[in-house]
Amino acid sequence: MAYAGPVLLKRIPDDPAQRKLYRYADYIATGGYASLKKVLAMLPEDVIKLVVDSGLRGRGGAGFPCGTKWTFLPKDLFPRYLAVNFDESEPGTFKDRYLIDHDPHILLEGIAIAAFANKISTSYIYIRGEYHHEAKLLEAALAEAYEHGIFGQKHPGTDIVSHCYVHRGAGAYICGEETGLLESLEGKRGWPRIKPPFPAVAGAFAKPTIINNVETLACLPAIVEHGAAWFKTMGTPSSSGPKLFGVSGHVNKPGVFEEELGIKMSTLIEKYAGGVKGGKYRAAIPGGVSMGVLGTDQYNAELDFDIGRKYNVLGLGTAGVIVMNDKTDLVVMLRNIVRFFAHESCGQCTPCREGTAWMHKILNRIVDGFGQPQDFDMLAELCLTMGAMPGTTICGLADGANWAVKTFLQKFPEDFKSRLKSRQVQGVAGAGVA
Amino acid sequence: MAWIVEDRLKAYQPARNEPYLTAKIKDEVSRKYFPRYPNKRAALLPLFHLIMHEYGYIAPQAIDEAATFLELTPSQVQDAVTFYEEFRLEKTGRYVVNVCRSISCELCGHQRVLEKMREIFGIEPGETTADDKITLLEVECLGACEQAPCALVNEDLHGRIKPAEFCSQLQQLPAAPGHSTTDDVR
Ligand SMILES: Cc1cc2nc3c(=O)[nH]c(=O)nc-3n(C[C@H](O)[C@H](O)[C@H](O)COP(=O)(O)O)c2cc1C
Ligand code: SF4
Ligand code: FES
Repeated sequence: MAYAGPVLLKRIPDDPAQRKLYRYADYIATGGYASLKKVLAMLPEDVIKLVVDSGLRGRGGAGFPCGTKWTFLPKDLFPRYLAVNFDESEPGTFKDRYLIDHDPHILLEGIAIAAFANKISTSYIYIRGEYHHEAKLLEAALAEAYEHGIFGQKHPGTDIVSHCYVHRGAGAYICGEETGLLESLEGKRGWPRIKPPFPAVAGAFAKPTIINNVETLACLPAIVEHGAAWFKTMGTPSSSGPKLFGVSGHVNKPGVFEEELGIKMSTLIEKYAGGVKGGKYRAAIPGGVSMGVLGTDQYNAELDFDIGRKYNVLGLGTAGVIVMNDKTDLVVMLRNIVRFFAHESCGQCTPCREGTAWMHKILNRIVDGFGQPQDFDMLAELCLTMGAMPGTTICGLADGANWAVKTFLQKFPEDFKSRLKSRQVQGVAGAGVA
Repeated sequence: MAWIVEDRLKAYQPARNEPYLTAKIKDEVSRKYFPRYPNKRAALLPLFHLIMHEYGYIAPQAIDEAATFLELTPSQVQDAVTFYEEFRLEKTGRYVVNVCRSISCELCGHQRVLEKMREIFGIEPGETTADDKITLLEVECLGACEQAPCALVNEDLHGRIKPAEFCSQLQQLPAAPGHSTTDDVR
């Protein structure tokens, strides 16, 4: 492991006063679009091989190997689309926004590289509706890119003209799920699709489509510039490369920080985020609320794609770390998380729609002091019925809710049980359900 | 979300002669958005963003007009539009204050923002001040958790909110009726 300094954030200094927006000319002046130039002289197959060799894994949540995903495109089916996932609605996640706020062209270069490698006709940047400012920044950056021939030109050696557009969402978390995103792109409600067919075969407008996260694509220029072997010098054998970590909640200096994969959460919090605020560390969520919670004894967890197996959470997710100090009411926090899922469930699958809503009701009554003795087991049972993909639901939202609740119950049982007990002792168990 | 049923009666509004889809809106969609997609339907979200920007809400008549324009049935348009929270079917105050209520903001005191709003403006989430100036809404994570607690006022993000300061900023905004776009806030 040897972290080679900021890769993704190389144009964004630590000192907020010195940060600025890099326009096309500034981007070029700092070595921008050199990787694209290099790529255009290569064979598309060799670019894909380079990305496979780099071990780059998706930064959007699932950690799927990026190069492998690209190889799923059927050989002779055209046109092909690229959907760039800039929906970023998972609570605790703001890394993509931070990157685009200062360096939009790093994404556009990544898109142009991916588009060339995969012979893509049109790339759509699906950006969440609330990011008004970022949508304008990207529109402006795209205008510059078109002006300088980054888009609007044929991929060398083909008749395919490469286009790129911004497509704005309108306030629905579920449109971050890749097939919900495609539905939304097509002008429909963002209901995730049953798979198969997989998007690589029949995605946007029933044509082969790749979906990648903003940060995943932003890694490409550096991989092309320095090579796959260099990329692998950072991180761990199964999780190569640099990573953006967002830290929020009870820390003194919340923000986005870049480090290599595999760093300890304690290092991230103490070295970068200024330490825990208002008390001692008690719990943290490693990567957006769908991932579950890390316990008090898991402060030193290594943040990489193996975290799920090692620390009983769902995974690294978006690496948006949410820190909670020892004065936090964890039952209230779990209620917040479950309310989020209940509100954002798209309602297609009964276990998800009903399960999240009932868990919210149960947590409400526990917080209000009307928890019943059986509520702990009831929550655990509801988790079982909702989650465990693949199985009962169409997309991963239900499983995220399952993991959030399950890990809170497993790692902090007393927080819940003590509330139920106290009401029982007072003899008011059984009081009304909200 | 989609399965939270809207009260259709509340959305009732008499028809008007003047179309909601003005020539300007149609022209922008035809010129800028239709060429981007292989079919007209995909321009639905961009079209309704334009309508929201122009009117601040979506009148039922606009849905019918959009259906004709996009060559869809009104139910297809209704189906999509009602799914998205940003597409509001009711009129709001001139400034819509979307306070984030998700986890990082709750950890950093979003309740204090709501309490101050209640104290100063006398409104709860979902309500509008009597002078139609401010509508308060609670929303999920705005993707700005490092700036918690935060809120989106129309199209502008306000981060690291100090409740009293924030409310006095809102008080100083011009109170003329009608909906506003981001330009007024700046
Ligand atoms: C409920 C749900 C929400 C998601 N939200 C996002 C999101 O906001 N941004 C994102 O990049 N990926 C999100 N994903 C993951 C995407 O489905 C998909 O895996 C990802 O965009 C693929 O890109 P990557 O391979 O580059 O990571 C979400 C997944 C689920 C199940
Ligand atoms: S799991 Fe939930 S969010 Fe996903 S498709 Fe089913 S109901 Fe919708
Ligand atoms: S939790 Fe409020 S912006 Fe993310």
